[in-house]
Amino acid sequence: MPRILLVEDNEMNRDMLSRRLTRRGFEVAIAVDGREGVEQASTGEYDLVLMDMSLPEIDGWEATRQLRANPDTESLPIIALTAHAMAGDREKALEAGCDDYDTKPIELKRLLSKIEALLPDGS
Amino acid sequence: MNGNDAARRQGALLRLTTEIAAARDEAAVYRSLVHGLQDEAIGYSFLGAFVVDEDTGDRVLQASIGWPDAPDQWRIPAGEGLSSRAIEDGELHYTADVRGESGYLPSLASGSEIDVPLRVNGMTIGVLVVESSEPAAFGPDDFEILTAAVNQAGIAIGRARLLEQERERVEEHRALLDTMSDLSSELELERVLQAVLARAVTLIGVTGGEVAIWDEDAQELVIVASEKVGVDSIGVHIALGEGAMGHVAETNEPLIIPSYHEWLGKSVQYEDVLVHSVMAAPLMIGRRLVGAIATVHADPDHVFDEEDLRLLNLFAPQAAIAIENARLYTAAQNQREYFETLVSNSPVAIVTLDAEHEIVSCNPAFETLFGYSTEEAVGRKLDTLITTEETRSEAIGYTTEALDRPIHGMGRRNRKDGSTVDVEVLGVPVLVEGERVGLMGIYHDITELLEARREAEAANSAKSRFLASMSHELRTPLNAIIGYSELVQEEMEDLGQGDLTADLEKIHTAGKHLLSLINDVLDLSKIESGRMEMFYETFEVAEMIDDVLTTARPLIEKNQNDFDLRYEGEPGQMNGDLTKVRQMLLNLLSNASKFTEAGTIGLAVSRAGEGDTETIEFKVTDTGIGMSPEQLERVFEAFSQAEAATSSKYGGTGLGLAITKRFCRMMGGDVRVESELGVGSAFTLLLPANGTQSGESDSPMTETD
Repeated sequence: MPRILLVEDNEMNRDMLSRRLTRRGFEVAIAVDGREGVEQASTGEYDLVLMDMSLPEIDGWEATRQLRANPDTESLPIIALTAHAMAGDREKALEAGCDDYDTKPIELKRLLSKIEALLPDGS
Repeated sequence: MNGNDAARRQGALLRLTTEIAAARDEAAVYRSLVHGLQDEAIGYSFLGAFVVDEDTGDRVLQASIGWPDAPDQWRIPAGEGLSSRAIEDGELHYTADVRGESGYLPSLASGSEIDVPLRVNGMTIGVLVVESSEPAAFGPDDFEILTAAVNQAGIAIGRARLLEQERERVEEHRALLDTMSDLSSELELERVLQAVLARAVTLIGVTGGEVAIWDEDAQELVIVASEKVGVDSIGVHIALGEGAMGHVAETNEPLIIPSYHEWLGKSVQYEDVLVHSVMAAPLMIGRRLVGAIATVHADPDHVFDEEDLRLLNLFAPQAAIAIENARLYTAAQNQREYFETLVSNSPVAIVTLDAEHEIVSCNPAFETLFGYSTEEAVGRKLDTLITTEETRSEAIGYTTEALDRPIHGMGRRNRKDGSTVDVEVLGVPVLVEGERVGLMGIYHDITELLEARREAEAANSAKSRFLASMSHELRTPLNAIIGYSELVQEEMEDLGQGDLTADLEKIHTAGKHLLSLINDVLDLSKIESGRMEMFYETFEVAEMIDDVLTTARPLIEKNQNDFDLRYEGEPGQMNGDLTKVRQMLLNLLSNASKFTEAGTIGLAVSRAGEGDTETIEFKVTDTGIGMSPEQLERVFEAFSQAEAATSSKYGGTGLGLAITKRFCRMMGGDVRVESELGVGSAFTLLLPANGTQSGESDSPMTETD
């Protein structure tokens, strides 16, 4: 069962997305800010990270950079989640080291196809 | 007569000749003549020298000896008296006994008389009368002596007259020179003309005169100078054709009126004035009348002649030039005063510099703006006066350039007290006869303007921040509504409670609609405030289309429409704002789907041109309800969805096309529409394939989630 770490500070967004992903067979863990996100992701227990960009403590871009700087997590798939189609956000997220990006509100079908594409085979 | 006497007489004659030759003017010649002949060695006791008045023919006594009762300037009318014979025939006449002569005029001496004609250059101009109380007192010796003396006098008079003429010419020239020099020293026209007139009156030897200026607007003469005409006529208006000056103003020819009061053309304005004869001339510059001059004789014996006219004609052009020059000077003066008034009353600071950048003049607004008085500023270099080291090189740059061509800029300058002022700077070169002599600088205080702009920008940015946070605040709960309605719908289906899913679907749809409204309003407000950020990147067109279709397909299929995607040639890559291209295409496809049922929605992609001018065309077609020509006209205006009815039936904000149009323009492209009511519509996006960011949005808006 693929394990996904969802880093999201908004409780309702967290709740919705985690429940929907769980229903589709993912194991979902939660982090509520950037620092916690980096700590949890570093444990090596996850197959993929869904990273909100606007986070307390350290933001999603910085968190991504830190994960990429760590040899243990440098190749961990990360999908950035950003607000409504802000120009430049996609570029910024990719520059920080994210593998892909999606906008909120989440369209589950689209997000699922992106997740599938990034998950290691057989996970 | 013995030898001794003869020698003494010879000596006396020699003295006489010497004295006559030394005489400085005509009057001195006559005095020397009569006094020399009175010498005891010669011994004449009664002598008188007369000169004929050319005008009247009268003999006028010039000098006499032994006639104590003879009046000064005694006149003997032509033809009267014994001496008239010598005038008439130019011969010496001896009358041995005057008492028997009918023409004899009784005088003190009543014996014999010799009349010796006085000739100058062959013309008899007078007569020397020598009398004795004794009859037959004279003999051939006397004739010889007197003839010799009078001939000497004639030569001397001829020379004196030449000198006098010469002196008059010199006088004329000096008068003309004075007239001209008056133009630079005496700047008021009336004073100049009064001086000109006074000299003309003196030179022509008349009683008085007047000068009038021609008033082109009023078509009349106005007297501005009046000299000894017996009445103060300054300011009197004379109609064209009225009186002597009015007459010459009309004919443009000089005129002599021998007897003014008998003249039919006389002006009633001169009825009480003692005027006998008048000479008038027009004052002309080329063929243009500028005034008139008149001179008058009050003396009935005086008649104007050709010589007077010659003198007047000599004067008239000079007076005319005086008037013209003064007029030009006044006009130039008025013009200068006009501009000086403009400059000194200007609310904008104006300063003039010479070619060395030194201040030549400045106006009160400059003094106020920078705190320097004119006295403090003049002679200083502007660029060091109102700058600090930081701004100096910029200011020198402006000044140097403004010597060649107009410049326009903005900068910060310093006042005398050290405070700063934001200014708009305008500089223009000052050219005199094509030569750069300096420049004029104009400073406009824009401190308040900049302050107002900063405030406006701050207000605008506050508004934008408000909108951004507002939309964020609205979207967060909305996202929850949308997400949970979707989630609950899925879970209900899993639990087999599908009867509620239709209602949940309605909540979900309404939520998404509200979200798109919020997004559109936010977009438009960002565009309107110039804060819509553009982000250019290179992307694969086909990938972008696929991405759009993921969202668009459900919309297209919802109304049972077919979809027809066509690539004409390789779609290739595009450099542009990906997000906005996607948004525009989604807008057009969503519109097409909304207004079409069981029809066909088409998307055709093609490229044209090369390099910088290469374009990509996205054409979205539908077979829907179409638009009328009236609707077409307003289709890209905000909130212009064809009709309220349409809006309520089909939904949408009516902002999509307005946003699309603006995005297109921002990317250097355009959007076109063709449509027919009941047939369908075609929207074409034409965008540069290799667009570049213009960089116009300098303060990107930040948005958080």
